[in-house]
Amino acid sequence: MKTNIKKIATDGVITNNPTLKLVLGTCPTLALTTMAMNGIGMGLAVTFVLICSNVLISLLRKIIPNQVRIPAFVLIIATFVTIVRLLLDKLLPDLYESLGLYLPLIVVNCIILARAESFASKNGVFASALDGLFMGIGFTLALTLMGAVREVLGSGAIFGVKLWDFQIGFFASSAGAFFTYAVFIALFAFFSSLISKAKHKKDALKEREENAVQLEKKEVE
Amino acid sequence: MADKLLKFSHSPHVRAVRTTKQIMIHVCIALLPACVMGIVYFGLKALLLLAISLLSAVASEFVYELIVGKKICQIAKKFDFTSCVTGLLIGLSIGVQTPWYVPILASAFAIIVVKMIFGGTGKNLVNPAVTGRVFAFMSFTSLMASGWVAPSIGSLIGGASLNPTTGATTLTDIFTGGALPSLSNWDLLLGTGLSGCIGETCKVALIVGGIYLAVMGIINIIYPIIYIAVAGLFTVCLNGFDFNYFLPSILSGGLMLGAIFMATDYTTTPNTTLGNVIYFTLLGLVTAGLRQATGIEVVSFVILLMNLFVPLIDKFIINKPFGYNKPKKAKGVQ
Repeated sequence: MKTNIKKIATDGVITNNPTLKLVLGTCPTLALTTMAMNGIGMGLAVTFVLICSNVLISLLRKIIPNQVRIPAFVLIIATFVTIVRLLLDKLLPDLYESLGLYLPLIVVNCIILARAESFASKNGVFASALDGLFMGIGFTLALTLMGAVREVLGSGAIFGVKLWDFQIGFFASSAGAFFTYAVFIALFAFFSSLISKAKHKKDALKEREENAVQLEKKEVE
Repeated sequence: MADKLLKFSHSPHVRAVRTTKQIMIHVCIALLPACVMGIVYFGLKALLLLAISLLSAVASEFVYELIVGKKICQIAKKFDFTSCVTGLLIGLSIGVQTPWYVPILASAFAIIVVKMIFGGTGKNLVNPAVTGRVFAFMSFTSLMASGWVAPSIGSLIGGASLNPTTGATTLTDIFTGGALPSLSNWDLLLGTGLSGCIGETCKVALIVGGIYLAVMGIINIIYPIIYIAVAGLFTVCLNGFDFNYFLPSILSGGLMLGAIFMATDYTTTPNTTLGNVIYFTLLGLVTAGLRQATGIEVVSFVILLMNLFVPLIDKFIINKPFGYNKPKKAKGVQ
């Protein structure tokens, strides 16, 4: 079976971006994006869990009975979340502190379960690993960008480096999280519609040219 | 404007000469006394802040429309002074100590996010001015809620004018114990020696504006009175039925400004008379209760909160259609 890497990549990062297009895993998105660093940490943790659980679920997809697949998925995900927690606690205690409750909550993160259910349980191991990687990258990018915007506006800093004293407290609060999220989704939808429109136009032009060429050929004949 | 084109719209047709533009100009006129008194009390800085917030509100409406892709003459023709009212209200509801960029951001947020994104005048879910003020308050709490400047007489009382009910003891000390004789009810009414936001110190100016609006038939004067009276009475109830609390509680803070100009916004009030009575009563109750509980001025927050209840009130309280008989079986659910 040939895996379409390009399609999986664009799916994960752009067309099916888990945060901005599928609107999955909103809880950590809203709560953790006060700082860009949090976004990266959370994103990488989720990416790791996503890749590992996708691989394992893909491997076991023919063994797991259909009736108990969700508990089995959750068990697999929980295993990897535990690994991430223990690793972070040991290696990056600061990040572990700031992620707090949201780290164990990765277990019930919709993105991972959704990918397990809709992709890993139907596709091969390599494709599932790639899907996990690119979904994770999409999630990390969205969270980091949101975190950066909120950090710059809400606390006048970026990645913990102070830029200026001017702060708009609204963006550091939870209302600001919803607002930033909404603006991001709107902009994302706007740009993706622009891109798809341009693509349509290109396709239409191409088609017309081809038709013209064919017509000319016919006339020549 | 008598358009020659055939216009088609659904039935209840309201025939009136009055346009949104005229109503909003009347509201602007009604706000003028408060502006003038604010400038008299707080000096040129107040004028500057009012001008900034007014201009930035209007400018952000134009900028949004330009981004959306309308032509400038088209926008100018459609311009209906709503953003003027919003800008003025934001300017009036901040203190003179506020830095110049706060009204700009508040106005831009109010107009672009609260009004224009939801579809412009008449389509906003919550009152833009109130939301702009709350946005500014949440963002710059330290700048907006401290360093109050007292006008004229110079009895700087910190935030006391803005949090009149910081708990029973403070209120007793300030108002009923007579510890601060410079703050009699007359002072509160006239705003002399009282620190606070630009527009909310001089209650007489606000009342004059309210009466103007009522006379012009733009607002129903009963509703603000319900709000203010209920807030005052509930404060009295919460403080052990001591009627000395009544006047200070209604004459301090932003209650008058909120009740007369902010809560009565057409878009964010219920459609029916009963609905309005319920809405303004609830506003009064929640204002008084939260003031007592939090110890800060909550009028703008309460109006924002109750604005969200308006669709709910409108859903359950519907006018009886003319000639409608209740089906006999159904019991009156109200």
